[in-house]
Amino acid sequence: MGLFDRFKSKDAAKRAVLIGLDGAPCSLMRRFIEDGAMPRLKEIVRGGSLLQMDTSIPDISSVAWTSFMTGANPGRHGIYGFLDLQPNSYKIYFPNSRHIHGETLWQAVGRAGRRSIVINVPSTYPAQPLNGILVSGFVAIDLTKATYPPDLVPKLRELDYRIDVDARKVQESHDALMEDILKTLERRVETLLYLFDKEPWDLFVGVITSTDRLQHFFWDAIGDENHKYHSAFRDYYRRVDSFIGQIAERIRDETLMIMSDHGFTGIKRQVYLNRWLVDNGFLKLRDNARSIEDIAKGSRAFALDPGRVYLNTRGRYPDGPVERADAEVLLEEIGKGLSEITAEGKSIIQRVYRRDELFSGPCIGAAPDLCVQPVYGYDLKGAVNKTKLMDREVFTGMHTQDDATFFINATADALLKRKPHITDVAPTLLDAMALAKPETMDGASMLVR
Amino acid sequence: MAEKGFTLWFTGLSGAGKTTLARLVETELKTRGHKVEVLDGDVVRTNLSKGLGFSKEDRDTNIRRIGFVCDLLTRNEVVAIAAAISPYREVRDELKAQIGAFVEVYVKCSLDVLIKRDVKGLYKKALTGEVKNFTGLDDPYEEPLNPEIVVETDSQSPLESVAFILRGLEEMALTKAAEAGAYTQEDEEEVRRRLEALGYV
Repeated sequence: MGLFDRFKSKDAAKRAVLIGLDGAPCSLMRRFIEDGAMPRLKEIVRGGSLLQMDTSIPDISSVAWTSFMTGANPGRHGIYGFLDLQPNSYKIYFPNSRHIHGETLWQAVGRAGRRSIVINVPSTYPAQPLNGILVSGFVAIDLTKATYPPDLVPKLRELDYRIDVDARKVQESHDALMEDILKTLERRVETLLYLFDKEPWDLFVGVITSTDRLQHFFWDAIGDENHKYHSAFRDYYRRVDSFIGQIAERIRDETLMIMSDHGFTGIKRQVYLNRWLVDNGFLKLRDNARSIEDIAKGSRAFALDPGRVYLNTRGRYPDGPVERADAEVLLEEIGKGLSEITAEGKSIIQRVYRRDELFSGPCIGAAPDLCVQPVYGYDLKGAVNKTKLMDREVFTGMHTQDDATFFINATADALLKRKPHITDVAPTLLDAMALAKPETMDGASMLVR
Repeated sequence: MAEKGFTLWFTGLSGAGKTTLARLVETELKTRGHKVEVLDGDVVRTNLSKGLGFSKEDRDTNIRRIGFVCDLLTRNEVVAIAAAISPYREVRDELKAQIGAFVEVYVKCSLDVLIKRDVKGLYKKALTGEVKNFTGLDDPYEEPLNPEIVVETDSQSPLESVAFILRGLEEMALTKAAEAGAYTQEDEEEVRRRLEALGYV
């Protein structure tokens, strides 16, 4: 049976494998296929379709991976960032898996009596019970709380499993960070292959996240052959490629997908939206402010990472002076002002979205009023302690929204002729497994029926 | 350990969504293990306050009676949810002082939208003069000055308003999200440091 035929057999109980590569840009995958750094990927792409994919806005991992696992927009799943403010308060909280609304891919699979193994998907901490195994990814703290069922923990410890790279190593040295990135990948791959081989499953989801860490700190190395870490960067991806090969050679009749949650590009400047809001009279901060918790009275708007702008509306926030009736004018004014920020004579803002252009669903009440998308190279940040609008930090790579990776071992004629969106991945996997898509999923299967 | 009792008092114009929200919040709080009782203004007028009219005096009496029952329930670890127009500030404040654990929820909706929606057909009757002393039209409504929670039902869906109310109650430590507490204080600090290391805070 050919690749195309097997997608037509609706009733066949199919298994599916998804490899996640956090932050791996489709354009970089194509480049590495071309220049020989990823020969195994090249091989499997020959028998399938590698497409550029759009991800969520904001294009950060917590939002993107949650959009993946729920197949839904943030207005439905409720996660808008790595941090958010508690309702009617300026106090920060860190959303976790318990804040996610809607059914996840693996819950839908479990409901059909089928078993999932889900390893290192960000924003799944603490591990929620499922039919199968789940080990949470970033920002998981405690391995026991990160693991379901907990009796897997001793085995994970025996395998010297690492939840994540410690990005603080960069303060020690870039060498120390690179070593940790490689080590974490090794430990992860060994655990993934162990579970793949030893445990029964219908859906296997394994995510590599050190790709993202590598690119945040070493992106400048890839474009520069004389860079100290140029070959280390390529060697890292060679190792990822060999992992893809190790999975591919285990694939018989399963659907295989590879995805990333966003793309990456080089940073020219970090841009601090709260600085702009202060400079333009929209935001007031207390002296020595460390975070947005130090907002002062009289503020009309503030920003949270990456490009989320909130009006300080009366009724929504304790000291909010902005009346709903005045919101429209204010949003217009802020949107226009932000669009006019330039660097090197060019606008650095690609588009300012209104809330309702991006989000719909029961969690829209917590949505930002505006979402700002920068052009490539200008990384929007929510920091409040900056004296300049733009600056350079230790990071050399930033996320992109329109260059995530989507691969499936199905030929082009078996796929819809459109650009996939990250919310389409879960519906596609369910479709391939001949399982119904939950009503809470916005995305749609990419498979032709 | 028994949950704490409190009074959740919905005030706002007719048709703003007080009963709808009260019922939705009731369901959620019950699933969280609270004992809950709803006192709906429309229902109360058919029993506890039967015979009372719509003069200021009668309206205040009605509200005091509802408040009296809420007070009893609150003292006995029940969440008492009142959904009544309760147009006069003074008597609401009086109840707040009396009950203590009193959360005033202002269900705000513009008159224009209410007249357009007119779910119960009452605004039409009031505007044609068929119904007299109608709050918001020919009878006053005094907005709360310091409500604990404000929901705007002309721009929010009922589910959004309910989520907002529940998170407000969580903030006041009156209820706990079904499964909260993934991070300890120490964990929170660690999460913050890790996010800082990637430039997210």
